[in-house]
Amino acid sequence: MSHSAMRPEIALRARGLVKRFAGVAALRGVDFELAAGEVHALCGENGAGKSTLIKILAGVIPHGAYEGEVHVAGEPARFRSVRESEARGIAVIHQELALVDEMTVAENIFLGHEPTRYGFIDHQRMYGAAQRLLDRFDLDIAADRQVGDLGIGQKQLVEIAKAIERDSTVLILDEPSAALTGGEVEVLLQIVRELRQRGVACLYISHKLDEVFAIADRITVLRDGDSVGRFDTQATQPDVVVRHMVGREIAELYPRRDVSPGEVLLEVEDLCVADSDDGPPRLADIRFSVRAGEVLGIGGLMGAGRSELLHHVFGAWGRRRQGSVRIAGRPLAASPRACLRQGVALVCEDRKRHGLVLGQTLAFNLSLSSIAGLARRGWIDSDREMHGGGGARDTLRIVAPHLQCAVETLSGGNQQKVVLGKALMSEPRVLLLDEPTRGIDVGAKQEIYRLIRELTSGGLAVVMVSSELPELMGMSDRILMLAGGRQSGIFASGDVSAETLLAAAMATTAGCEQGRTA
Amino acid sequence: MSAGGAENGRVGLRDFSMLIALILIALVFWLRDPAFLSARNLSQLAIELSATAVLGLGMLLIIVPGHIDLSVGSGLGLAGGIAAVLVFEHGWAAPAALAATTLASISLYAAMGTIIVRERIPAFIITLGGLLVFKGAHWLVIENKTVPVVRGGESNLYSLLTTYHLPPTVGLTLAAVLIVAMGIAATRAERRRRRQGIAADPEAAFLRWFLSAQVILLFVLSTNQYKGVPLSALILAATAFAVHVVTTHTPFGRYLYAIGGNEEAAVMSGVPTATTVVGAFAVMGLIVAIAGFLQTAFAGASTTTTGQLMELDAIAACVIGGTSLKGGRGTVVGVLFGALIMATLLNGMTLLAFSPEVKLIARGSVLASAVWLDVRLSRGR
Repeated sequence: MSHSAMRPEIALRARGLVKRFAGVAALRGVDFELAAGEVHALCGENGAGKSTLIKILAGVIPHGAYEGEVHVAGEPARFRSVRESEARGIAVIHQELALVDEMTVAENIFLGHEPTRYGFIDHQRMYGAAQRLLDRFDLDIAADRQVGDLGIGQKQLVEIAKAIERDSTVLILDEPSAALTGGEVEVLLQIVRELRQRGVACLYISHKLDEVFAIADRITVLRDGDSVGRFDTQATQPDVVVRHMVGREIAELYPRRDVSPGEVLLEVEDLCVADSDDGPPRLADIRFSVRAGEVLGIGGLMGAGRSELLHHVFGAWGRRRQGSVRIAGRPLAASPRACLRQGVALVCEDRKRHGLVLGQTLAFNLSLSSIAGLARRGWIDSDREMHGGGGARDTLRIVAPHLQCAVETLSGGNQQKVVLGKALMSEPRVLLLDEPTRGIDVGAKQEIYRLIRELTSGGLAVVMVSSELPELMGMSDRILMLAGGRQSGIFASGDVSAETLLAAAMATTAGCEQGRTA
Repeated sequence: MSAGGAENGRVGLRDFSMLIALILIALVFWLRDPAFLSARNLSQLAIELSATAVLGLGMLLIIVPGHIDLSVGSGLGLAGGIAAVLVFEHGWAAPAALAATTLASISLYAAMGTIIVRERIPAFIITLGGLLVFKGAHWLVIENKTVPVVRGGESNLYSLLTTYHLPPTVGLTLAAVLIVAMGIAATRAERRRRRQGIAADPEAAFLRWFLSAQVILLFVLSTNQYKGVPLSALILAATAFAVHVVTTHTPFGRYLYAIGGNEEAAVMSGVPTATTVVGAFAVMGLIVAIAGFLQTAFAGASTTTTGQLMELDAIAACVIGGTSLKGGRGTVVGVLFGALIMATLLNGMTLLAFSPEVKLIARGSVLASAVWLDVRLSRGR
């Protein structure tokens, strides 16, 4: 409690933070300052270094693994673990929630420091204190509810209540509104305002500029690991912030080409898809087609249903209520195995979860989707496998000592190329890419862009989901925007501005919500 | 070639730890009783080893994709029992009885695999149920009696499984053929590696071939001094070769490792996960039948205790041999070593007339410490 009595002006200060992952700089000297009683927004594209910065502040990346200094309340902070960071009053609300579904709200709030009496948990005190806390912020949540029964938005609010209970002086909110409905966002913003009044320093990370401008006092923009601008919210405009976020010249990063699209390969009509047989639809009114040699970009905010759309086309997610998916005029089967046979391949966003068998070799992973075709009379032809794998390695310029080394030893960019190589070895006609450049450095990105161009020149149709607007605009022939599971427009990328696309990603969210209540 | 995955080609303390443990165990027994290394006892050891090792090889196919099979001990008791009853009480010809039982066992295990995959019930539960059901069925089939595998003291294919020994010249010829074949295979693999640009290590390959040749020759020569190479050892060798080929050279084997390594990625890569797992259980059914015949023939008759606790020996052989219970990792050579360690331990303690209590405690301790050692060594990597 000593720090609350004499709270210094600056709650948290970072100086010259540099962090490299396997030689790739994620942060290149970030300076950053958070005042007590301030809401400070952190903006930047994916890969700009936001999550790396949060990980350092939260103690996930321990002191010594990065360069630069962090000061908390004027004192140097050298966190070696999340616990040490928490002990200094820093709380992080993650995108992925850290709640135990099987426990009650109160048990979650007090997890790790339950009030006790003679060594036994004092349930009365625990539930009483939790309920008072929830009521104080007008959260309509009972302390004895099972967390698993709560909606995702309510869970987020419980997570925040947990941080408040711990007397945090610095609250880091990482995309807190990504999964919230309009009403829940209002409650969230109200809580953040109240915390600001009580002198808590809030770091607010969001892609949604309208929220940022509604809540933040100041905005820091990160780009490619640098802090490229700091603004007083009062004195700036959203388009200025967007310009700083995007920054680089789009033309030089993305190779242009002038191949005219060929025949229609993939056709999606009137698609309406739900999680389960009786669930509400998560995707609705989706229709598009992709031609040979064309790149169709798919954009939208987190939770807009972009990955779900690709996974559904690939037969890996959802129950179709209505609509059809066709490849070259014939219905596309509904399983990954059948899709691969029909010439549709998917490169997943989460390569560690969906893409790679990490403990296995490069050759094993590259040939996994095509191994049956590399076998003769049931016997794997090792020469053909190595020839194919070697070919993929050379085309994709995968940097690895040889084909028998474990993929877990490769860098992120090279791992991503392995997943891409696996898809290409199945010889697809339509390639679905879900965030193909997430978490890899600019050099590797450029190589992947070049490769996409080569593939489309060869007559491949590409559908690419991306959260990076410049990438969408630079690589796509047309861009389909999703908002709240609905298609909010298809734009020719030549004559559309980033602002129009952002508007399509956000404006229709409200429209869809109106639709939901109507 | 890449069954072991990443650790392939890398030779470390871990690869030798099993060999060292085996030599140490053998040394202790030999010092206590030189008869341990006699031709007679080595023959005996080979026969005892065969059922456990064959079963362990089947278990490898189940554990690599991340499942487990607790039912194999009573399953093999049941298989051996059915075949014995068919021969002894119904007068079937032994080959017909063995074939019919084998088919039944394969379908039974394929059915279990189907339930596990279709209904998404953990293999642990389904096969635990199988353990109890098969045990009951076994007792029912043999009516709690002792049912010999052959009528009236003669011999048939069933009893010969563990009593037949190859004539010395046949054994030696086989050994010679095997050694030459291994040499050719190693040379070709080495040439292929060089062609594929993988750092070839001809000295290590030669050393491996030389050591294997020594062991094979030594085994044949010493068993020849007794009665010759036991048929059951040949069955084990054939099973090991088949499982090795399946795990390393077929798409089915690749799929097993992919499912165990990352099932979600396997599905997204178009791996037919359900068919593969059901297939692994079907192969397990075949292996349970083989192990059941061996084990029952070894005792000469099916009794209520045939196969008891053998599921644990099979799992122990896998785990001692470096198979990960989480799936995705394990090799045939490892399982053979693991089974050899377990069988050697049991054989030596029986030779030295240890009490059953001590035997159980010793086997349990070796299992636990072997896994502890493996975890320690793999953590350091």
